[in-house]
Amino acid sequence: MEELFFIQHDVIPALWRGLLVSIRLIVPSAICGLIIGVFIGVSRVFGGTVIKTCANIYVALFRGFPLVVQLFIWYFGLPHIGIYMSPFLASVFGFSLCSGAYHSEYVRGALLSIKQGQLLAARSLGFSKMKMIISVVLPQAFRRALPGCGNEIIYLIKYSSLAYMITCIELTGEGKIIASETFKYTEIFFIVGIVYLLLTSVASWLLHRIENNLRLPGFDHYAL
Amino acid sequence: MKMIRNSVLRVEGMTKRYGQKEVLKNASLTVNEGELKILIGPSGGGKSTLLQCINFLVTPDAGRVWLKGEEIIRTHKRALYAYRQKVGMIFQDFNLFDHLTALNNVTIGLVRVRGMHKQEALDKAVYELERVGLKDHIYKYPAQLSGGQKQRVSIARALAMDPEVMLIDEPTSALDPELISEVLAVIENLRANGMTMVMSTHHMGFAREVADEIVFLEDGCILETGTPDKIFLRAECERTRAFCSKILELYGNA
Amino acid sequence: MPVTGKHVVDMMESVAAIKEALPYLLHGSVVTMGLVCGAMILGLTLGIFLAVGQVYGGAVLRSVIGVYVWFFRGVPLLVLLFLFYFGLFSLLNINLSAFTVAAIVLGLISSAYQSQIFRGAIVSLPEGQFKAARALGMSDRKSIFYIILPQALRLSIPAWSNEYSIVLKDSAVAYALGVMEIMARAHFVASRTYEHFPLYFTAGGIFLVLTYLGTKGLGILEKKVSIPGYTR
Repeated sequence: MEELFFIQHDVIPALWRGLLVSIRLIVPSAICGLIIGVFIGVSRVFGGTVIKTCANIYVALFRGFPLVVQLFIWYFGLPHIGIYMSPFLASVFGFSLCSGAYHSEYVRGALLSIKQGQLLAARSLGFSKMKMIISVVLPQAFRRALPGCGNEIIYLIKYSSLAYMITCIELTGEGKIIASETFKYTEIFFIVGIVYLLLTSVASWLLHRIENNLRLPGFDHYAL
Repeated sequence: MKMIRNSVLRVEGMTKRYGQKEVLKNASLTVNEGELKILIGPSGGGKSTLLQCINFLVTPDAGRVWLKGEEIIRTHKRALYAYRQKVGMIFQDFNLFDHLTALNNVTIGLVRVRGMHKQEALDKAVYELERVGLKDHIYKYPAQLSGGQKQRVSIARALAMDPEVMLIDEPTSALDPELISEVLAVIENLRANGMTMVMSTHHMGFAREVADEIVFLEDGCILETGTPDKIFLRAECERTRAFCSKILELYGNA
Repeated sequence: MPVTGKHVVDMMESVAAIKEALPYLLHGSVVTMGLVCGAMILGLTLGIFLAVGQVYGGAVLRSVIGVYVWFFRGVPLLVLLFLFYFGLFSLLNINLSAFTVAAIVLGLISSAYQSQIFRGAIVSLPEGQFKAARALGMSDRKSIFYIILPQALRLSIPAWSNEYSIVLKDSAVAYALGVMEIMARAHFVASRTYEHFPLYFTAGGIFLVLTYLGTKGLGILEKKVSIPGYTR
């Protein structure tokens, strides 16, 4: 009985608070990350030499450095050149830039997978460049990039827990605090784990639904 | 005996270089209304390049093009897009849009480029697909069609734009042998209906039977032009004779 | 921005800080590689069994493995580290160092991912291979270990090298348990010398080098064990 009371009065409100912070971290990071990814991916395919090189360096660095290192750079490093960010802002900033680099890989691959011949065919029908991108390139690239980018968002949900390491108290952080107070580490972290599991499962279920709705013959995504 | 025909397409002095290599040297030709001109010659001789230079998919280094007496200014975007609508193009490897059904492959140009009403475009697309014998396949995606069917969809896609002239680039060379005849039959049918066409092919039998005029291209040069009988039986140029006899030796009269 | 004397002094100080901290950080890379090697080996061993179980096992085994994979792929590393280090292991009265727990947790997660790599490779092999092995009178177990796995593991090397770089980067999270790997040391020095940028960049650079060396090595391995004339 006492256990139940404790869970109802202490654990659930704290974790709920944390969950809301986590979601507030994940949603803007996912959106910004995607925008950055599309931007960088397009530059890596269609950009001039200078832009291409810059984009490639960006991707190499942000995919090569562990996310923890990146978060530390933004949170502990930037104040040394006079830029101060709250833990929350630094987290969103770090997540967006990092996942943008990963998204750009899928965007780039999707753009490259569109056969050149189809662009010739569109031009031979009298399409302008803009119309060609809208009616031929994007619908196909979107489908090809979707599985990879969706996976990246699922990774982002999990990696959002690293915000705790730069003192942004989200779901993991609230769990850590309440667990250290009560010494019920196993129970609390099990519950926290289940919450993340639910988040990632719902996200991947949604992703599969979108993929299935958009599935066309010849666009089956390659297994693993 | 020969009717006086109006020229539909006139190409003059087409030249294209890739780096040092000149793949097209000063090629000129005139295509008259209702005429089927067939380009023959060894692979890499410049046939594809010539066809793609005609509608500026490949930017030529020099050369001018007139459609129905009006010169096309390549740098004028709007004019260029309008011109391409009037010139249908058929590619060796079909180049269907993979994300669209056969039907929508045909309608997309009508709706997005010509601004036609959706329903009108659908009706027209169905009609064109019926014409190439694909009534039962209009809702299939490219991945669900055979090579011959894909090529016929691409012909329907080009026809739907009501082109003044069609450029057809080796339409059968990516096809299995048993599928070739269905595509050639469609092209023969077009000719019977008076479509103006320029086509490159390796099918000498087909060329001899249906072409009005044959153009022999080698190393980027037009070496000889003439009726099928002239090219196959009384070619003036040594290279033409050598090419024709080699092809005949390889494939018989097919 | 014009380069002033102050900038030059700053730069020299940064270089000096990196120089001083480098041996200490490189020592951390030994710890990091220990974590990664332990995790990859555990992940490989478990992953192979999970994959074989998932392809050839009965319905019950398959769903148990399915839940395992779902769990370890769906829960964040940091939460699992806390759960195992502060929770499960102490609950079971098992006393393990932070390093060992981190290696085990990284290995368990990696086993879930690796099992999917191997499963994909096994499924992609032509069916005739298994049939031919059976036709020779091999038991199912022998067919799997002598015929199927040697081929499947070869096919898995590119994906495996990708997994290596992920585990390598994830290992930096072990800092949360106080494991003195590269990141922990960089932060330790940075908070004393206030040279955050240079030290974090050096740490990141070490990770880049380790990624490069590892994938290069696996690329060489892939060439070495490749079957002549076998292309996919």
